[in-house]
Amino acid sequence: MITKTGNIKIKTERLNLYYGNTHALKDITIKIRANAVTALIGPSGCGKSTFLKTLNRINDLVSSVRIEGGVYLDEKDIYAPGVDVTKLRRKVGMVFQQPNPFPMSIYDNIAYGPRIHGIKDRNSLDEIVESSLRDAGIWEEVESRLEGSALRLSGGQQQRLCIARALAVQPEVLLMDEPTSALDPAASLKTEELMRWLKKKYTVIVVTHNMQQAVRVSDETAFFLNGEMIEAGMTREIFSYPRDRRTRDYIDGRFG
Amino acid sequence: MVRKIKDGLILGTIYLAAFFSVVLLAGIIVYVCVKGIGSVRWSFLTTVSSVLKGTVGIAGNIVNTLYVIILTLVIVIPIGIGSAIWLNEYAGKSRSVRLVEFTTQTLAGIPSVIFGLFGMVFFGTTLGLGYSLLTGALTLTLMVLPLITRNTQEALRAVPDSYRYGAVCMGAAKWYMIRTVLLPSAMPGIVTGVILAVGRIVGESAALLFTAGSGYLLPGSGEGLFHKIMESGGTLAVQLYLSMSKAQYDTAFGIAVVLLCIVVIVNFLTGIFADKLNAALRK
Ligand SMILES: Nc1ncnc2c1ncn2[C@@H]1O[C@H](COP(=O)(O)OP(=O)(O)O)[C@@H](O)[C@H]1O
Ligand SMILES: [Mg+2]
Repeated sequence: MITKTGNIKIKTERLNLYYGNTHALKDITIKIRANAVTALIGPSGCGKSTFLKTLNRINDLVSSVRIEGGVYLDEKDIYAPGVDVTKLRRKVGMVFQQPNPFPMSIYDNIAYGPRIHGIKDRNSLDEIVESSLRDAGIWEEVESRLEGSALRLSGGQQQRLCIARALAVQPEVLLMDEPTSALDPAASLKTEELMRWLKKKYTVIVVTHNMQQAVRVSDETAFFLNGEMIEAGMTREIFSYPRDRRTRDYIDGRFG
Repeated sequence: MVRKIKDGLILGTIYLAAFFSVVLLAGIIVYVCVKGIGSVRWSFLTTVSSVLKGTVGIAGNIVNTLYVIILTLVIVIPIGIGSAIWLNEYAGKSRSVRLVEFTTQTLAGIPSVIFGLFGMVFFGTTLGLGYSLLTGALTLTLMVLPLITRNTQEALRAVPDSYRYGAVCMGAAKWYMIRTVLLPSAMPGIVTGVILAVGRIVGESAALLFTAGSGYLLPGSGEGLFHKIMESGGTLAVQLYLSMSKAQYDTAFGIAVVLLCIVVIVNFLTGIFADKLNAALRK
């Protein structure tokens, strides 16, 4: 189990998820530390994305999904009746594998979330836009063309823009699903740097295929296989002394 | 070598075909303009035909045409876009959805004179709206509804899911996401639908002759313009048809020129309006 020092931000208890008859998550019990980067690793199709999507309830959009067990954010069950999903998603932001800026200006992309949550005042928006872009390390590159289309940025810039867009609503948790796999190596390194920096303010959970990346950016790692969580703990320990054979085989590159 | 010649021949044929269709289109427009421009005098545009005064004019028909365009669009755009949104974003993939899609497709293939017959009997007689611009506009609504719905639907379908997920992940409610992300992205497709619809509206005579009728008088006042909705009014296309049937070819070509101008202007305005609307939707 992940414990050690620091507060627990998210925990799940015997979480099971079904897509119709497919049992995609099996009895996942995990604790995720605040202000740390947690990496989720495992072969394709093992349920990493599915797990991530239970944390901001974006799975609600898939009609075949059925969920059992509990997911707690700051000790509160996010699947309890009466939970405001808009508020939940404000607290738990998400960044996808393919950068998905909206076809609008850079400014409007960043202002999108704040506007949902009722911020209309131009000065406040200006401030949020600047600070979010700064936090995502892209302010200098786009400062002079905030009104230009976000679609004209490079892939790496688009991804950092999407991170900035997620940060603009001041989330507490940032979910990232293979955020660098569509980027070139230089842009990937930049994004990794950013993740390490972001954990000062946020709790970051990142799905990655790339073992080196997990080692470079994460404090904790959880290994998934066939919908089960096999092992979780400090990244250093998992990669040096994996307890389970399957974990060892996976990080040695024997499968997946 | 043989392959190269073959490729060259095919390419040549394609260019020739493209050239031919452009020339054909340009030729028609030039021909109509040359034949018609002589009739388009100031009095032609600003008076109505009168045997007593000895004038030949289409002012009333111009007003009717604009009236019918606006009235039809005001009715059809909300219905068309609304049903496209429902079909694409809310309804899922049920049997009833396929039925509605099949119906709209079929609706698009029905000859316009049948719409005219239906409109005359149903709107005109059963609903008691008589020969009026409203009856005409309602009839045209049925006719162009598939154009708006289909084009909007295609455009919505082309919007990547990642936009939908992106917006919902920021906490957007579904309708907010549709308004701020989907509709603006789909706007070019919607505009295409509207432009095609305008084309059918201004070109239509069969569906209008027995629904909106062929009245050509100008409304007497501002209030008259309001009452006109329940009065008979022939559009330019209807008048064009009537002029042709009376062998008044000068008038007919004059009307044709004015029609072409109106299509160009309305399409231009539609584009501008869509841009403005887009900016407003995103706020
Ligand atoms: N929308 C869906 N409907 C049905 N099955 C799904 C859906 N999304 C994922 N799955 C299935 O759930 C399992 C886990 O998928 P996923 O979470 O995407 O894995 P990963 O991200 O680790 O590659 C896979 O077997 C996949 O086929
Ligand atoms: Mg995945």
